[in-house]
Amino acid sequence: MRRRTPQIRKVVGYIVLVGMLLIIIAPFYWMVATSLKGNLSIGNFPPSLYPHHPTFYHYARAFTTYGFGVYFRNSVIVSVIATVVVIVLAALASYAIARLPIRGKAPIMVFLLAISTFPQVAVISPLFLIMQGLGWLNSYQALIIPYVAFNLPFAIWVMRTYFAGIPKELDEAARVDGAGVLTTVFRVIMPLATPGIFTGGIFTFVACWTEFFFALVFNSSQNFRTIPVGIALFSGQFTIPYGTIFAGSTVAVLPIVLLVLLFQKWVVSGLTAGAVKG
Amino acid sequence: MRLSKLERRSAIAGYAMLSPAMLVIALVTLFPIGYSVWMSMNTISSTFTGFQFQFSGFKNYGIVFHSSLFWQTLWFTTMYAAVTVVVELVLGLLVALALNQPIRGRGLAIAVMLVPWTLITVISAQMWGYIYNGIYGVLNYVLMSIHIINTPFLWLGTPTSATISMMMADIWKTTPFVTMILLAGLQLIPSELYEAAKIDGSSAWNSFWRITFPLLRPSLGLAALFRILQAFGLFDLPFVLTNGGPGTSTMSIAMLAYQAIFNNGSFGPGTAVAVVTVALVILLALGSLKALRTQVGEIDT
Repeated sequence: MRRRTPQIRKVVGYIVLVGMLLIIIAPFYWMVATSLKGNLSIGNFPPSLYPHHPTFYHYARAFTTYGFGVYFRNSVIVSVIATVVVIVLAALASYAIARLPIRGKAPIMVFLLAISTFPQVAVISPLFLIMQGLGWLNSYQALIIPYVAFNLPFAIWVMRTYFAGIPKELDEAARVDGAGVLTTVFRVIMPLATPGIFTGGIFTFVACWTEFFFALVFNSSQNFRTIPVGIALFSGQFTIPYGTIFAGSTVAVLPIVLLVLLFQKWVVSGLTAGAVKG
Repeated sequence: MRLSKLERRSAIAGYAMLSPAMLVIALVTLFPIGYSVWMSMNTISSTFTGFQFQFSGFKNYGIVFHSSLFWQTLWFTTMYAAVTVVVELVLGLLVALALNQPIRGRGLAIAVMLVPWTLITVISAQMWGYIYNGIYGVLNYVLMSIHIINTPFLWLGTPTSATISMMMADIWKTTPFVTMILLAGLQLIPSELYEAAKIDGSSAWNSFWRITFPLLRPSLGLAALFRILQAFGLFDLPFVLTNGGPGTSTMSIAMLAYQAIFNNGSFGPGTAVAVVTVALVILLALGSLKALRTQVGEIDT
């Protein structure tokens, strides 16, 4: 009996694995399949389980007739700039916390953790008034600045772990050789902390790419909508245009899935090292 | 103690490197939170020249606490958070335990589990809205072909079924993420512990409660904290999937604040709702933080 237990465990493991994969993939399959169907068969019941006459009609419509191209451009601009700024500021800050003799490290880390727990709704009305006062509603900076602020705490937490893991002797060796703090940081330590920097960057990018609340409140005009706002406010006159919505959605899902799968190792290590080990 | 010149210079560089990040965080999160509290204690009216503030103490809170809609959305959000977080933790733990062994295809499973996490919630909401559709939704088709139901059902048409449908969409999207955190935590537990327990004749059940569960507590606490905070900010999913309906039965507290401020222009009461939410979230976070306390204590060493 005892000897068989690992065998049973393995079988259970495979059943769970296959079941989970099917449950995760099925809705995605349905979304992609629907985006390839003609308008008539989208509203059919019973639905056809695969597109009998696959067509890219909805993809063409989404990008020519409707503004999905604009939504994409906006999402890319906002997410890329915010991510780059977060990486630079978080790398500097976490290096200082992990390796330089400054006071109040523990309070700073607790403060960052506390800040990252605040829901966005906590700041929405003041930020709205400020953005309105500055004439920044419907602009890129209206999203970039809040995205940077809201993603910095987590990025600093993740990167600090990596910086703390690099032997202290390296700094000392570099300084004995006459390198200043900035030279040490950029030539010696940063290259070693690349995984941490990537991890923080990917988490930030995903958060910016998927953010909806700020984008809805600050940038709701057609020309400044990001993908989530574009898809949420996209509606037809009489019916919900699912074909077009799913065509745009499929294109929105692809780049980020590729990005995350490509950097899978770092995302997983972010969950392990950055978050759990501390 | 006198610092050496080198150390003093490094410390100055340290503060200089830290300050840009801290300044941005303070300006965009800390200051507005304080300003929110101030706004919630003012009667705010929109005029031609801009917004007029008039201090009114706790009047807005009175309005909020006397509104039955506030209590309804608070109850809905709390119940929604409790159910989804518990289900996601239990389900995520079971899946993580099943996958925490050398089986083939685990790398693929982890890769696929990352995908729902990267999915824009709004897209997920549209996706499930189409699946749940009462006229041409595929869920009705599947359930009818295996004879669980006989006629199409309007999943988003009644308060109870709409709530459950929304929870299912949430659980689908977030459980993989919880699983990843827990799986990462499981892999940090040395396997020698289990071997020793086995030699001592401990059953698998006992080993779970004596070894796995205590050592996994930080990961569980972290996952719970993440999820509770997220669930209390619940906005995207109901905004797109149900628009708070039918009626106001699936309206979250963040949606209430949003509607009060941006649909009705009631900045004062809407901001008061937001402040109450923050207070609640802080209390909940402090509870979950206990599990992380050891982690924070290690930083200075």
